[in-house]
Amino acid sequence: MRIPSLIIVFCLFVGCDSRIETFEPNEVFSLALAKARSTSTDLASQDTSRVVEDLYGTPDEPRWPESPAAKKAVVDERNLFRASGPVSSEKDGTHVGLFREHCVTCHALEGSGAGPASVFQDPYPRDFRHGVFKWKSTERGKKPTHRDIRELLTKGIPGTAMPSFALLAPEDLDALVDYVVFLSTRGEVERRVTAAAIDELDYGDTAPIAELILSSQGDTEGGQVVQELVDRVHEDWAEAEQYEVAVPSFPELSGEQLVASVARGKEFFHGKVANCAGCHGPAGDGSLPTLDYDDWTKDYTTRIGLTPDDREAMKPFRKAGALRPRTIAPRTLRDGVFHGGGDSASLYRRITQGIAGTPMPAVEVVAEPNGKGLTTGQIWDLVRYVQQLSTSQ
Amino acid sequence: MSWAGWLLSIYFVGTAIKVVERNMASESTLAEQKASGQLVHRLCLLLVCLVWPLIWVGGLVTTYDAGMAVPDWPGTYGYNLFLYPYKTWLLGPFDLFIEHGHRLLGAVVGLVAISLVISAHFKESRRWVFVLTLGLLVAVITQGLLGGLRVVLGDRTLAMVHGCFGPAFFALCAATAVITSRRWNEYLGRQGVIRVGSGLVMLFAAIPALSYTQLVLGAQLRHVQPNASPGIFAMIVATHVIMAFLLWFLTAVAWLKIRRCGDLTLSRPAGLLIGLVAVQIALGVGTWVVNYGWPSILAWVPGSAGFLVRAKGFSDSIIVTSHVATGSLILAVSVVVWIRLLRVRHCCKGTIDPAATEREDADSSPKNEQKTNVSLLEPVIA
Repeated sequence: MRIPSLIIVFCLFVGCDSRIETFEPNEVFSLALAKARSTSTDLASQDTSRVVEDLYGTPDEPRWPESPAAKKAVVDERNLFRASGPVSSEKDGTHVGLFREHCVTCHALEGSGAGPASVFQDPYPRDFRHGVFKWKSTERGKKPTHRDIRELLTKGIPGTAMPSFALLAPEDLDALVDYVVFLSTRGEVERRVTAAAIDELDYGDTAPIAELILSSQGDTEGGQVVQELVDRVHEDWAEAEQYEVAVPSFPELSGEQLVASVARGKEFFHGKVANCAGCHGPAGDGSLPTLDYDDWTKDYTTRIGLTPDDREAMKPFRKAGALRPRTIAPRTLRDGVFHGGGDSASLYRRITQGIAGTPMPAVEVVAEPNGKGLTTGQIWDLVRYVQQLSTSQ
Repeated sequence: MSWAGWLLSIYFVGTAIKVVERNMASESTLAEQKASGQLVHRLCLLLVCLVWPLIWVGGLVTTYDAGMAVPDWPGTYGYNLFLYPYKTWLLGPFDLFIEHGHRLLGAVVGLVAISLVISAHFKESRRWVFVLTLGLLVAVITQGLLGGLRVVLGDRTLAMVHGCFGPAFFALCAATAVITSRRWNEYLGRQGVIRVGSGLVMLFAAIPALSYTQLVLGAQLRHVQPNASPGIFAMIVATHVIMAFLLWFLTAVAWLKIRRCGDLTLSRPAGLLIGLVAVQIALGVGTWVVNYGWPSILAWVPGSAGFLVRAKGFSDSIIVTSHVATGSLILAVSVVVWIRLLRVRHCCKGTIDPAATEREDADSSPKNEQKTNVSLLEPVIA
């Protein structure tokens, strides 16, 4: 009798997996907004969670709301079902619950980048909810294309915890890409709706009038504001391909021409226009001290007037799930490792667009040398110098 | 919640230890002890030889997230476990191959455990050993149930408990193999070189306790819940790392204490433990690297700056699974040494004269140690 009773007690004690019924609300943003607007965001945050769940569903049952403004489908709902929910597999070897299988330990269920293993990553895993991505082929302020995200999943990011998923089936990669877009869209809508509730719909310490209450139906003013925001974010994703940065052909040089080009590139590297040496250091080894932060960190620190080093000020944000602020260091260009790819086209885009979400600025492309930007030829000189730096060690 | 699995394992192992300890003392008072039947011992060895690969395959199932490749239980896609078409199994998806293979191997272990109980009933004169084999059978059934419930409920917490209980079962099999061996009775009335005090026994008991705690902590990291907090995860990682080095230190101290005990069945596995824990630490670093890249503390390692993590790589999955399997091996070896030490404590007739010990201490050459051991291992039945 002892063992069966022990097993029963054991089962009661063990229970099952902790249930995941909803996405956690973005409390860090809510707190930052409360600080920035000097008002309570509790009600706005509460109603936002309700509306966003109506629109986008739960971690186990995601939904994709209709958005007439988006002229083409942004995600395939079948992919969302494959990537969401608990990990399982079918008889033919097809895996479901792909996001929890491959991504959740670092990126967290909501795509907040604060997953269980996030504190050990440097840089921290990406918070998708800002809708900002570093490594892409589009203009700085635009969304990445699905192809960009797929390429990132396939290639991984060397020198970081972001793996290459090249061994996954193509359908699995498609499902993951769509789910990342879903989480990013859902998270960005959540942020925008919370902000709109405070700024446009009179949310504060008390709830606004019924007409202004946030709603997932577009028949009230509150509902229309939500629909507009959903449309805007969906449209941004649907139009991403239109904003791909065209890369001019890269002239292959050799011999003296190459040496001369690299020498010119070195001048631009140290010159006033590009001034790469100002951050990456004269030797390009990223050794200069830095006090700057990325946009994801600034969101709850410097932008709302808080010092990231102030532990007391950071306490409520840390409690709400924010990771400890870390300064962003310019990369060394000498080890041959480029997180976003070291090919000439990627470097061209990085120089002309900068890196979204980071202090890395863009260099203006000009038709003729004018001291304010660089011509295409000059940018290629700079690219050759950077590539030469990376192989010189 | 895998602490519950830990408690369950402790219950089983603790009960087994109680049985062993109680009978170890009483047995030493017997003038004659019939040797356990050879068949019983051989079946125990077979069990040990089957359970370790079973842990490997089970580890692979988790590494590949293939636990749900067969959604029903106890059958496989409606078939009886043993009647599932072997061609579909062998030529099907890798997930199905390892999950169904894990179940088949588990079933074979179950059958061997049944055979062990039957043979112990007929061949084993010590009743408590028969009870122990019965305990093994109950443990293997429990483990099968845990695995089945994990599938039926699709529950990762139960997968973690299943993963924690497996190594405990493996250690229990190894201990039973030691107890049923012929050498077990050779300790009776023999003179030992060292005095096995309670301190030494505690030291050797701390090693399996610590290594099992490490297994539980490792399982927490491996089966981490999607909504676990980064703080808890970081705390478990830190504890896991610190305890690994503490365990390594303990194995070194333990080996120093008994390296010249004159009994190779104690000193050799104790020495082996130091090596195994060293390998395990290296595998632990490897496991972290193939999952999360090089940690910043090891950024000085050449090539770490450009290291690319590859999801689902075969060699990577072997490193991760080796870490799991080596952990079980450390547990089993440390339990074996500890059980033997307990036996020495209860059965040997104290120490030989200190002068002889000193002479032995002065001469540390393995050749001479071997000679001494030969003489000491001669059975001295009172």
